[in-house]
Amino acid sequence: MNCPRCDHNAIDTVATSPVPGVWEVYGCGRCSYMWRSTEPADRSIREGYPVEFRITQADIDNAIIEPEIQVPTR
Amino acid sequence: MPYSDLRSYLDALNANGQLLSITEKVKAEPDLSAAAVAGLRMSDRSPALLFDNIEGFTNARVALNTIGSWANLATALEVDIKTPVRDMFFEWVRRAENFPIAVERRDNPPWAENSVEGDDINLFDILPLFRLNAADGGFFLDNGAVVSRDPDDPDNFGKQNVGCYRMQVKGPRKINIFTVPVHDAAIHLGKAEARGEDLPICITLGNDPIIKIMAGTPFAYDQSEYEMAGAIRQAPFPVATAPLIGFDVPWGSEVVIEGVLEAGKREFEGPFGEFTGHYSGGRKLPVMRIDKVSYRTNPIFEHLYIGMPWTELDYVAGLTTCIPIYKQMKAEFPEVQAVNAMYSNGLIFIISTKRRYGGFAKDIGLRALTTPRGLGMGKIVIVVDEGVDPFDLQQVMWAVSTKFNPAGDFVRIPNLCVQDLDPASQPAGITDKIIIDATTPVSPDLRATSTLRSPIRRRPRTGPPNSLRCGPETEL
Repeated sequence: MNCPRCDHNAIDTVATSPVPGVWEVYGCGRCSYMWRSTEPADRSIREGYPVEFRITQADIDNAIIEPEIQVPTR
Repeated sequence: MPYSDLRSYLDALNANGQLLSITEKVKAEPDLSAAAVAGLRMSDRSPALLFDNIEGFTNARVALNTIGSWANLATALEVDIKTPVRDMFFEWVRRAENFPIAVERRDNPPWAENSVEGDDINLFDILPLFRLNAADGGFFLDNGAVVSRDPDDPDNFGKQNVGCYRMQVKGPRKINIFTVPVHDAAIHLGKAEARGEDLPICITLGNDPIIKIMAGTPFAYDQSEYEMAGAIRQAPFPVATAPLIGFDVPWGSEVVIEGVLEAGKREFEGPFGEFTGHYSGGRKLPVMRIDKVSYRTNPIFEHLYIGMPWTELDYVAGLTTCIPIYKQMKAEFPEVQAVNAMYSNGLIFIISTKRRYGGFAKDIGLRALTTPRGLGMGKIVIVVDEGVDPFDLQQVMWAVSTKFNPAGDFVRIPNLCVQDLDPASQPAGITDKIIIDATTPVSPDLRATSTLRSPIRRRPRTGPPNSLRCGPETEL
């Protein structure tokens, strides 16, 4: 299974349904996208994920930092 | 009786016919958000929603749209649910005059019933987290009252901040928090980082409606949201002490999450469907490490749908966006009658005013742009006569369409600061701003004698039979 958003293949199972076997929540080890296995295909499957919302490692690297990190003064 | 927690507020909504309990099984996605949106579109008097049968969960309860209508806001203020918006505006102004009201310290908070610490924490075990909008980067919290203190003055009660920020749950005990440089929490984080320290922070979820509103209201840096909550609820606000970091937190919260923002650490977050009705894009934001969670048994997860306006956020932040601008303007220009800045968190101001002299409305507009809200928002200022209700858009559009002539009534100022979530800003955070003077010209404006001064003040109407012969009544 790959991340629907960035196509990374390191995926963690973050949660499982309290009622056994209904759903799982997965998290991507690269872009941190998180989704539930029962969500519609445009959120949970790479092929269905909207092109305009897909991201790459460069998008992550180039994202703005907010707020700016303050350097320790002592 | 002021509400001390979410549950007593839900009881009051129910008593007012403003709570719809949904017992049919629903999916976490997309059903919960879809229901919230449907409720918000039904009317501006629609009820709050309470779900207790969510697929795959046991004992989970989700409350949505709790302040998602004017009737619900009226319930929060404990006034008649049919109270007009304008009247709630002036009632809020009246109550705020009593600020500050000292807090009431209470023992035995209900959230002390359960707790979990360290690596035993998994937020997914405690809250039925779910996605709000399809392209959100994950599961967000956008409705908490987040408490932090000034690291250089930690015992100053007024500087202890209660804020509302969007937060993405990134793992069992990790959260990203979106706080921009003007936010008090960002100031606190900056000071902590300058000291080379983590910033202790506390997220409280599932609160009474007044502190929920206060958390999203900008105040002066040393003004206490708790003490303003006391003024608005007309009784001291009840607080208790967070067990791990010792901050003052709402006594009645459903969930209290304690931890630190880790110094010098930022991680990728977003996008998130924002109040502008657009997605935010991704950013690298501060990271909270959660160290302790306290919670009521079977906590109610009170969430807020945000996205294409109007959403609950517009009801939550609407009046409290207007009132500081009104008070700041009124202090210097007593001619100002009312301010409506409810749209998109104050990107548009509509101000009604008497005119002291020709050109006065433009002075009003310029001053509005330099109020604290105007500095970062306030992209468009519409100024109307005192007889036009700025909360009645039919009246406002009448004024703009008939009183406004761009030749003399339009002011444009280039390259000013705006909230960088404004999707039209270019580059992000920079925009031109405009003033639309839709008032009636007065002397020495040379147009003061034009037909603009002759509106039909009284509409044609039929009267009792003995006056029918007078026909339609108008006044020139």
